[in-house]
Amino acid sequence: MLNKTLATAEAPPAGTAEPGPVALQPRDVRFDWSGLPLRWIPGEPQASHLLSVLHLLLPEGERWFVSTFKRALPLITDAALREDVIGFIGQEAIHAEAHQGVLDYYASAGVDTTGYIRQVEWLFRRILAPRPDLTPAGQRELLIEQVGIVAAAEHFTAMMGAWVLDATALDEVDLDPRMLDLLRWHGSEEVEHRHVAFDLMTHLDPSYIRRVRSLLLVAPILAIMWARGGKYFAAADENQDFRLTWRTYFDAARRGLLPTPGAFARCTLRWFKRGYHPSQDYSTAKCVAYLGSSPAARAAAR
Amino acid sequence: MPAGTGTTAPGGTDETGRHQPPARCDRTVPGGTGEAPLGTTRPDGIRPPASQAPPALSGAPGRPDRLMRNLTIFVDSFVRLRGRAREALGRAEPRPPQPGLPQWRKLVVTDRAEEADGVVSLRLAAPSGGPLKPWQPGAHLQLELPSGKIRHYSLNGDPADRACYRVAVRRIIDGGGGSSEVHDAVTQGTVLRVAGPANAFPFAADPAVLLIAGGIGITPILPMARKAAALGLDWRLVYAGRSRATMPFLDEVRALPSARSRVAILADDETGVPDAADLIGRAPTGAAVYACGPPPMLAGVRDAVNAAIDAGRLRALHFERFTAPPVTDGHPFEVELARSGTVLPVPADRSVLDVLRAHDPATPYSCQQGFCGTCAQRVLRGTVDHRDQRLTGDERAAGDMLVCVSRAPESERLVLDL
Repeated sequence: MLNKTLATAEAPPAGTAEPGPVALQPRDVRFDWSGLPLRWIPGEPQASHLLSVLHLLLPEGERWFVSTFKRALPLITDAALREDVIGFIGQEAIHAEAHQGVLDYYASAGVDTTGYIRQVEWLFRRILAPRPDLTPAGQRELLIEQVGIVAAAEHFTAMMGAWVLDATALDEVDLDPRMLDLLRWHGSEEVEHRHVAFDLMTHLDPSYIRRVRSLLLVAPILAIMWARGGKYFAAADENQDFRLTWRTYFDAARRGLLPTPGAFARCTLRWFKRGYHPSQDYSTAKCVAYLGSSPAARAAAR
Repeated sequence: MPAGTGTTAPGGTDETGRHQPPARCDRTVPGGTGEAPLGTTRPDGIRPPASQAPPALSGAPGRPDRLMRNLTIFVDSFVRLRGRAREALGRAEPRPPQPGLPQWRKLVVTDRAEEADGVVSLRLAAPSGGPLKPWQPGAHLQLELPSGKIRHYSLNGDPADRACYRVAVRRIIDGGGGSSEVHDAVTQGTVLRVAGPANAFPFAADPAVLLIAGGIGITPILPMARKAAALGLDWRLVYAGRSRATMPFLDEVRALPSARSRVAILADDETGVPDAADLIGRAPTGAAVYACGPPPMLAGVRDAVNAAIDAGRLRALHFERFTAPPVTDGHPFEVELARSGTVLPVPADRSVLDVLRAHDPATPYSCQQGFCGTCAQRVLRGTVDHRDQRLTGDERAAGDMLVCVSRAPESERLVLDL
């Protein structure tokens, strides 16, 4: 594991465009959502509503990531990993607030999300909550399980982040520019810190079984909650001139407006490779380049 | 509002015993703040039963959602059964964390050279002569000087040279004394404690780049120029300074490939102080700009480049991001940790967070600028001088404090719930 830690900190060989490991820092982004329509991709209700599920899941979910990682800090014995986790925590905290801002705006515009949010809260505050009634060893074991769940979830957020940076179709559909920047700024930071949760999980427990189990727990719940959220937003749309089905999802994905089922499947399978490490996926150069151009990230850079 | 507190009830404590301020999304729950949201595990671990899972989104109202209920039962059983299995197998302790790396190690100064008026460079190597951790353009080291002061310096040698690091330091007369100490007290053979490298100024190797360096700001820019040239990018470098005599590494800048057409050296005493238009005017169309220099120059560049990006002429702006700004207008005071009674002095030039981290390296924090909320602590007694941009009036009234930036009046004692 010591060797592995060193390996992940290695800079890529000279001659590649990749900048190597980046010191992670949160960015103090702000968004003004006034006037944002529920269908923020004009003429694409399915893609709008399915991507809007991020605003339902992420505030509560990322706050839970933050609280989980804060509790894991005392277990970390590697200084470089601790630095990474510190940067990760702040980035996730700001992500949660940024998506909460969209949700708050929708609430003020009369879109009721209470029913779904209640389920998300139950998921993160009841089912996945810490259990102070367990023995200290039991609490610690549960904490490592929770770190594994974060790592598996981050495997998909990194994949979504890399997708949104590459999704040129989103540039051609007159998408609300603030929302595109939110998605790409967030996606960039997900790619930037894609290795942190994985490294923390393997630091606390390098077993392959843990890795596999974490993803098997996360992937089905994520898929079901995503589908539910999409339907929930679709039902809230005043204009019921569309249907949200598997077929309409495949169609939007084929046009590049959503990640394809194949992309999700390949991403899932990569996780099960024995020697997998998130640094093998995606490009740090690409996310650094976007963060230098993002209106929100530039405004936050002081 | 601090994030990351979603697993506990408002004003409760989590399992590590740390006090947690109220969670943000309480306001989305009927009943509002001040009460735990329905279905939240209480701080003492009492959990609402699975039968109280929230209702399904459609269909019969009031019935618990089947997925939520069954998932609750599954996870509760899983946690309980694993606890029993651990007892049965006699494995009381879960595996310990993997051994890791310490942050600081010792490097020896193998060479010290005058690079320009008021600028010295240091070469640092492992005492054993072994290879150093690799780095990429934009990376910096933290050096602990003999006095204990910690300073960040950009690496500016050749990343392919694994045997030594090179940093360069300009003497700042009215600075905090760190640069003068490097000039006066560090010589060949001095052993320094070093952390890093870390990279807060990564170079993305965009197809077209403009590099702007002001004075000692050439240190991170020079390796970027070398990499840009090596990758065959369309690059330009503008290197500005007061006079050529004060500008380090001019020879190395002139030796860059095709420097005659790509590099502009602007000395104030020859061509006047350049304005932002002079600095960015040489950018290739659609270039990403990487800038490092004194704050007034950077401020001008930032405004000009942001305008050019918004107008579509340039693509991106990058400069080094420093996390912890120096404390301004601070007075010495004390913090007391309520649970142990430990009293820690907070000097005028250090943050409460610094002091808490020195006491416990696992103290949570992140941005160090008062916006992310990670470092929130609960103040039981004492007057807080709030300097954050995050906490709401209610949270401040409840005693929350962001210890990375907020302070207390002179000689005050803050009692923290720690």
